[in-house]
Amino acid sequence: MHTYELDEQTVFNSGHNACPGCGEALAVRYVLNTMGPNTIGVVPPSCIAIICGPQPYSSMRIPVYQTTLEASAASAAGISRALKRQGKHDVNVLAMAGDGGTYDIGFQALSGAAERNEDMVYVCLDNEGYMNTGAQKSSSTPYLAVTSSTPGGKPSDKKDITEIMAAHRIPYVATATVGYPDDLARKVAKARDMEGMRFIVVLTPCLDGWGVADDGAVRVSRLAVDTGFFPLYEVEDGERYTINHGPKGIPVERYLEQQKRYRHLDADQIKEIQTGVDHRWSLLQARAESMARPVVCD
Amino acid sequence: MSEVTRKPTTGPAAASPGEVPTIWTTGWTDVFNTGTWRAATPIHEWRPSPCHADCPIGNTIPGWIADIREGAYQEAWLSLVETNPFPSVTGRVCHHPCEGHCNREVIEAVVGINGLEHFLGDRALEEGWALPAPAESQGKRVAVVGGGPAGLSCAYHLRRLGYEVTIYEAREELGGLLRYGIPEYRLAAGVVDAEIARLLDMGIEVRLNAGLADRAALESLEAEYDAVFLAVGAQQAKILRHLEGGAGAGRVLDGLEYLRRCTEGVARDLGERMTVIGGGSAAMDVARSARRLGHQVSVVALESRGAMPAQPEEIEQALEEGVALFDGAMVAAVEAGADGGLTLKCVKVTLDLGAPAGELRPVPVEGGEFALAADVIVTAIGQDPDLAPFNGAFGDGSSDGSSVDGATGGFVECAVLVADPVTLATTRAGVFAGGDVASTNRFVSEAIGAGRRAAYSIAEYLSHPDACIPERPKLEDSVNRTEVNSFYFEFSERRERVVAPAAERLQAFAETISVYSTEDANAEAGRCMSCGFCVQCDNCFVFCPDMAVQKDPSAAGAEGVAPGASECASEGAPPAGAAVRVVAAVPCVGAPADSGPFYFVLDQYCKGCGLCVTECPRGAVRLEQVNL
Ligand SMILES: Cc1cc2nc3c(=O)[nH]c(=O)nc-3n(C[C@H](O)[C@H](O)[C@H](O)COP(=O)(O)OP(=O)(O)OC[C@H]3O[C@@H](n4cnc5c(N)ncnc54)[C@H](O)[C@@H]3O)c2cc1C
Ligand SMILES: Cc1ncc(C[n+]2csc(CCOP(=O)(O)OP(=O)(O)O)c2C)c(N)n1
Ligand code: SF4
Ligand code: SF4
Ligand code: SF4
Ligand SMILES: [Mg+2]
Repeated sequence: MHTYELDEQTVFNSGHNACPGCGEALAVRYVLNTMGPNTIGVVPPSCIAIICGPQPYSSMRIPVYQTTLEASAASAAGISRALKRQGKHDVNVLAMAGDGGTYDIGFQALSGAAERNEDMVYVCLDNEGYMNTGAQKSSSTPYLAVTSSTPGGKPSDKKDITEIMAAHRIPYVATATVGYPDDLARKVAKARDMEGMRFIVVLTPCLDGWGVADDGAVRVSRLAVDTGFFPLYEVEDGERYTINHGPKGIPVERYLEQQKRYRHLDADQIKEIQTGVDHRWSLLQARAESMARPVVCD
Repeated sequence: MSEVTRKPTTGPAAASPGEVPTIWTTGWTDVFNTGTWRAATPIHEWRPSPCHADCPIGNTIPGWIADIREGAYQEAWLSLVETNPFPSVTGRVCHHPCEGHCNREVIEAVVGINGLEHFLGDRALEEGWALPAPAESQGKRVAVVGGGPAGLSCAYHLRRLGYEVTIYEAREELGGLLRYGIPEYRLAAGVVDAEIARLLDMGIEVRLNAGLADRAALESLEAEYDAVFLAVGAQQAKILRHLEGGAGAGRVLDGLEYLRRCTEGVARDLGERMTVIGGGSAAMDVARSARRLGHQVSVVALESRGAMPAQPEEIEQALEEGVALFDGAMVAAVEAGADGGLTLKCVKVTLDLGAPAGELRPVPVEGGEFALAADVIVTAIGQDPDLAPFNGAFGDGSSDGSSVDGATGGFVECAVLVADPVTLATTRAGVFAGGDVASTNRFVSEAIGAGRRAAYSIAEYLSHPDACIPERPKLEDSVNRTEVNSFYFEFSERRERVVAPAAERLQAFAETISVYSTEDANAEAGRCMSCGFCVQCDNCFVFCPDMAVQKDPSAAGAEGVAPGASECASEGAPPAGAAVRVVAAVPCVGAPADSGPFYFVLDQYCKGCGLCVTECPRGAVRLEQVNL
């Protein structure tokens, strides 16, 4: 029988403004309560900022700097450097941004910080769209998903932020999701205890934006992993791959059918998505394998 | 430069030392009441499992299986004997309806509950575990008439409740059909002896060869005792008159009589070829016993194989043992055969589907005639209670059911004593009845359950301070298949008890089914999902985005009473050890003092999303709509 062992500290508060059953709030819980109170947070405009609290109230019992949508990584880098300048080497700096603020609008700051290997934990809470402003598409929105700005389904693929960040050869990149809370908490703890740029992308179902039932965040999140849509893995220093949870032989249709944003799909489209999922999974496996092999000259 | 007097402003710039700029955080969101958003409230509640609801005895199955899982076998057994004093017996012969709706089927197959009961029962006998001591004496005496499973179970529960009990048994030994009906190869006499001896050690008086003969005897029991429980069973065989005269004379035997002779080892030369008439367990027992004694055996049953009341595995084993089955057929007449035996004129039949419930109306199939040769016919087509001793005692003096008011209780209907279905009270004050004598639901577990219910009903009648009649949970109120979360359970093959090969079985009357090894029992217990029975896995706590599910080990003792300890606990109340219903931060109702962390929902924050409900693997959290 399956049980979760989480080592939580009390940082995230009740009384926050997230929707009932929100997957992103659940992720914030695991991230903050694992990072612990000795943390400074950086949050750009996003649902996370709303969950953070209607100013002057906060749901996060740590100092949080609410920055601009473009600047999460830059702000976090500044705070991190300032702390070091003050001789405070033991304070964690945590940026928590949405996918819009990570894949798109905050991307150049993020890439720059990664290139400089700034000392921070950057968590992208990926709900696959600009949800806080009315569920517009972002470059994280998956192929064929309906958003308010792609009413016929998004014509292009989801950007692979994990591989992009891994290609920066930073110490730690990982994927995680709320349906696997122990895996998520373990990765946050691991990142917290490392140095340099650590990046975790957490898939967080948005009930309203995805058209999921109020009690469905965990179920859908788990199906994302179990169907192979969103494998859970880690990449260290850009090359050491560890796959934690992959597909369990469940067709991707089981995942899609839980969400109204995919309701319009016909059988061919579902097949196409399945093919894409299978393809990406085999690529990931191949990459993990080839990267694991030591490079041999001549 | 002249001095400028600045007006105080309310903006951030106005902050004086010690004051906080308004862009700064001044408080936490936990002052907000997000609970007002809620349209439904999760409630942590112990709920009956389907196995529990289906068990005629009322065994709280997930409770004791959880103990097995933890290796606490004696605790498991003690929890089991709270309801069932005969686990070694039922572990062998119960028709196990508990497995019928077991939710584990959503993963791979139902849990082997019956095998686990068998395991615990035998472990207890091996280790010599004693039944719990009786409670403080209530100073009252109860007579139990009939020492079969119903009477013994009633005596046990009455004794536990603190009553003095005397059993009056007509035969020379206790056990009823456990001893004189069910054959040795399914239920060894040693097992029956051992479980009865342990029960009598609680201090129960027994009068053997002391059958209740007539109405006067009943009246004197009523005078001598504070209450009487009638559990005389149904041991009068129904007969087929059309076979008994003529050629059949002296060659037709009833099944119970035959089995009794087998038990008593009184063999008689009945001739080689036997035809058994009947399609139930008793018919299979007769046929299989006869095969062990070397007869050639055929069975003629009205029902087609799939509809026969015998358990499918009994039929299968009978066939393996060489019994020839003629299902969907009847014996129409008996004639003298050429070889000094009998010729049975048989015909294939179908059953009239329009017949009233409980009645079988065979319709001969044209051209379906066939003949069987036999030396002896054994009928096993059911039994009626012997109601002669009660003649006139229950109202209108009739004993044949001809002028009965079955609805209000009176004398007989379908030739059983009519007792109230809930209280088991008859029309005579202080006289109760249960088991085969008062029911057509003829199973050992039904009899044990009736005895248990009767004991509590008698206690209530005798104004016991805390006893009340246990209410059997309804299947529709139990945790159903959609309420367990299959994600949390991994495929694990069901363990089966080993059945000896047919050739070996035919050698003797030794038991044919083996008990689980400890390893099998542990594995099987590991398969149980504990439906409705919180095992403190923390899922509800872990998955609340609002941290509204809380656990509080320290408060557990505060309001805690162990409901299992109270004899008044109906079967709808949590057994001891269950973590429990708590609404809105009120310490839980009935939390046992040692139940460890228990869960409650903070009214102020819960938004009613239902995640805790869905992610509870076992349906121990329920969502209740908020009434607006
Ligand atoms: C052959 C056979 C096989 C069966 N196999 C199974 C099985 O595998 N599984 C299952 O669940 N059920 C089985 N049953 C049914 C089960 O045995 C009965 O339902 C159960 O024994 C009923 O229990 P009881 O206590 O009501 O009656 P009984 O077991 O019949 O006990 C009644 C007792 O009362 C005594 N008595 C009778 N008259 C008097 C009197 N006037 N005064 C004092 N004492 C009296 C009898 O001697 C007897 O000891 C089987 C039945 C038969 C006949
Ligand atoms: C530069 C800029 N453009 C637009 C906005 C408006 N805006 C505020 S939040 C938001 C959505 C952010 O989406 P995402 O980062 O995915 O977070 P989510 O709301 O989905 O959690 C937008 C577009 C802004 N604050 N700044
Ligand atoms: S899984 Fe366990 S508790 Fe649930 S019905 Fe089966 S035996 Fe009973
Ligand atoms: S998960 Fe939390 S908010 Fe949702 S119903 Fe349960 S207690 Fe309420
Ligand atoms: S989720 Fe686990 S802890 Fe919560 S009620 Fe269900 S069994 Fe108990
Ligand atoms: Mg987003």
